[in-house]
Amino acid sequence: MTTIERVEPQTEIAVAIVDTDVHPMPVSTDVLKSYAPADWVDKIWPTGNAVTPLPHFYDTPDSYKTMSMRVDAAPPGGGFAGTDPDYAAKQLLVDAGVSIATLEPMCDAQLPQAEHVLKSTYNDWLADVWLDKHNAHGRWRGSISVSAQAPEQAAREVERWAGHPHMAQVLMTPQTRGIPFGNPHFDPLYEAASRNELPVATHLMGQTPFELIPLYPVGNPAHWHDFFASWPLLYVSHLMSLVFDGAFDRHPDLRVVFVEGGFTWAMPVMSRMDRIWEARRADLPHVRRRPSEYVREHVRFTTQPLEDADVKPFREYLEMMDLGDNLMFSTDYPHWSYDSPAYAINRFPAAQRERIMRGNATALYGLPSTVKALPGEGPAVSVSFE
Amino acid sequence: MIIDANVQPHFRYNAEIRKYLPAAHRLRSIPDVEQQWYQAPGGNYREDLYGEHYPGSDRDTVARHLFDDGGVDYAVLNPLTRGNIADYLLNSRICAAVNDWLLDRWLEPDTTNRFRGTIRVNPEDPKGAVAEIERLAAHPKLVQVGVPMQSREPYGKPMFEPIWEAAAAHRLPVAVHINGGNGVDYPPTFAGHAHTYPGYAAFMPLNYFVHLATLIIEGVFGRHPDLKFVFADGGYDILTPLMWRLDTFWLSMRDQTPWVDRYPSDYLPAHVRFCSSAFDGPTDPGQMQRWMEFSGKADLLMYGSGYPHWSASSPADAADGLDSSQRDNVLWRNASELYGLVAQVEGTTV
Amino acid sequence: MLERRFVCSLDELPPGAMKLVDVGKFGVGVYNVDGSLHAIVNYCSHEGAPLCLGLIGGTNEPAPDEPGGIRRVRDGQIVRCPWHNWEFDVTTGQNLADPKRRVRTYRVDVADGQVYLNA
Repeated sequence: MTTIERVEPQTEIAVAIVDTDVHPMPVSTDVLKSYAPADWVDKIWPTGNAVTPLPHFYDTPDSYKTMSMRVDAAPPGGGFAGTDPDYAAKQLLVDAGVSIATLEPMCDAQLPQAEHVLKSTYNDWLADVWLDKHNAHGRWRGSISVSAQAPEQAAREVERWAGHPHMAQVLMTPQTRGIPFGNPHFDPLYEAASRNELPVATHLMGQTPFELIPLYPVGNPAHWHDFFASWPLLYVSHLMSLVFDGAFDRHPDLRVVFVEGGFTWAMPVMSRMDRIWEARRADLPHVRRRPSEYVREHVRFTTQPLEDADVKPFREYLEMMDLGDNLMFSTDYPHWSYDSPAYAINRFPAAQRERIMRGNATALYGLPSTVKALPGEGPAVSVSFE
Repeated sequence: MIIDANVQPHFRYNAEIRKYLPAAHRLRSIPDVEQQWYQAPGGNYREDLYGEHYPGSDRDTVARHLFDDGGVDYAVLNPLTRGNIADYLLNSRICAAVNDWLLDRWLEPDTTNRFRGTIRVNPEDPKGAVAEIERLAAHPKLVQVGVPMQSREPYGKPMFEPIWEAAAAHRLPVAVHINGGNGVDYPPTFAGHAHTYPGYAAFMPLNYFVHLATLIIEGVFGRHPDLKFVFADGGYDILTPLMWRLDTFWLSMRDQTPWVDRYPSDYLPAHVRFCSSAFDGPTDPGQMQRWMEFSGKADLLMYGSGYPHWSASSPADAADGLDSSQRDNVLWRNASELYGLVAQVEGTTV
Repeated sequence: MLERRFVCSLDELPPGAMKLVDVGKFGVGVYNVDGSLHAIVNYCSHEGAPLCLGLIGGTNEPAPDEPGGIRRVRDGQIVRCPWHNWEFDVTTGQNLADPKRRVRTYRVDVADGQVYLNA
């Protein structure tokens, strides 16, 4: 075991690893409700149950016992994994070596107004608990959750948080009830996000309201296994819409982040779009550039869950794909499908590692190059990208 | 030798199909020949083929284009039907009519012996589909069973298994191809309807992956060692990323479906083939050879022109950038093995 | 260099229990599976998770003639990695899906009611 020097609390260490997907949860429904408007409490939580719906249309492995969480992530003081910001800081920031993490709460509600109020409530809770009270180290960043169903209100919510020092991005569900991302429906939101230089991230949300399960075009698999292997095709659909429906032309400063949907599919999707654009330019007068150029400029992908293919062909594939400027490392802490930084670093071609583990997220979110060390951390712990 | 594994012959005119329908169905309303779920602006077919006859409807013209001009030795004809219309019994009669028309107008009179055909069946009518396979499987020129890409359930689900079992028993691969017509179907993308034709055309072929994943995970391939599926619209460019995912999660999910006793991608060589498409593959031909090695695609891919579609490609297009062994595999070897087609000797007949 | 190390007394490790021993880089988990003792490295062959912190249970095998098509077997023998839930047989170190992903095992012996690990 290497010993780690004790450091003074105010010591700064270099940012080595940025984690672009971490899931905080309120410690109880009552705590969350305390941030909601009084007249909405009974409408959103009529039975006072479930803080946040966990995926239940499909069983993840052993989910009845593990609740889809890392078994070793439950806080020793009690409570659900991801509910204790200080224990999360110990496991993720200190033990796993993450310097800065972007927090993405998972929540959704069925009716448009309820969705908006619930997400605003989460924003107030996140800003208070994770970005203020438990952020003396300044290493948590947050997401402004917004309603996909109410884009005007989503835009106002973006404005409400735009100046916040620790809110790094906007967060919207990809389960948009049949409206693809490139649709002008989202224009008010994209306009507000772009103007405030906030990327719009998307992440699988809970699967409790019925219509949030996307009905796959040829029907749904029976098991989480084949369901989740096919899941990137939802992001593919949204990306093709963003390009072909002209969203990037209408919003030249928009940046979109696809979280937890893989990224190796980006290579074939870019070439498909390029080929069909070349053959059907007349159908797309509003699409001024080659589709793959839009992807390189406007889109980022987080890396978790990494495929467990043989490392040599995997790295070769990433070299062919040449998206070293577009990938951002993520762990998905504290979920079961967590990728550890130590494992992930070696999966990438050496020439892309620094950008993926730190540089791309730093540039996208305007992150600092140093952060305050936590007890147990020291400058002696360094990360090699060689 | 060159084998074209994907050609769509068409009826000459709408009423023609009625000659092949039984009396009880002859006066029913069915979608037109030209009807497509998502129309390509300007027409679905190659511009130069609209003329005296409906594109792809004249046997001599098609033969001249493929065999004489194109240098192709065999062409596998896979006609469209009219969509997953609500009345599944009528749909099965439409499939049978299309099959009888194919035999009558294309295969029986073909003295060149270069055309082969498909037994179109309706998966929404499993009993009818099995009966249709049994009716026609013995015909030497019918080399595969054909079903639509469009479906309200993925093909690994149990209601379809008797169909695949019948196909495998007759050593007939099952070709999945985007169908024409007008069906009761879900929106074509995972995010709803596409609002541009390119948004539809670029995405739609990728839906094969859900059929493929379920055929593996539900154990269909495991239970039927002789069953082969052909995904005739391509989409193999996304095969590696999604199979990597399917392989990765197998170690986590194995206990829910323990009949899957190997890595999902281990099922590909014995059970899966693709027809080439104009939309698949790296845009840099310099990457093509290495890219073909991922997921063993060189053994899975068969040239398919898609004639008379507007995106129809030539053998040279399909072979662009390949090394000579990959080229032979794609242009004839894989299809020759799958369909039992051998080089013809001049002057002999079947 | 293998060393014979004292772990605990046998009654501190009843059937179904696991004791984590601080040895080597990651530690070793000693298991009592129905009276017989086994040990595996506390490091998953996937991403290096602390394997022995995972839940112990059984697994399923195909049973085509039974309703539901699967049956529960090998209870108490299988540890699932606390992260991605990969299944390992603690008595052999084998990964149930892919034998090439096995983890290292160690010999355990009992003398005079005391458990010893050879690691």
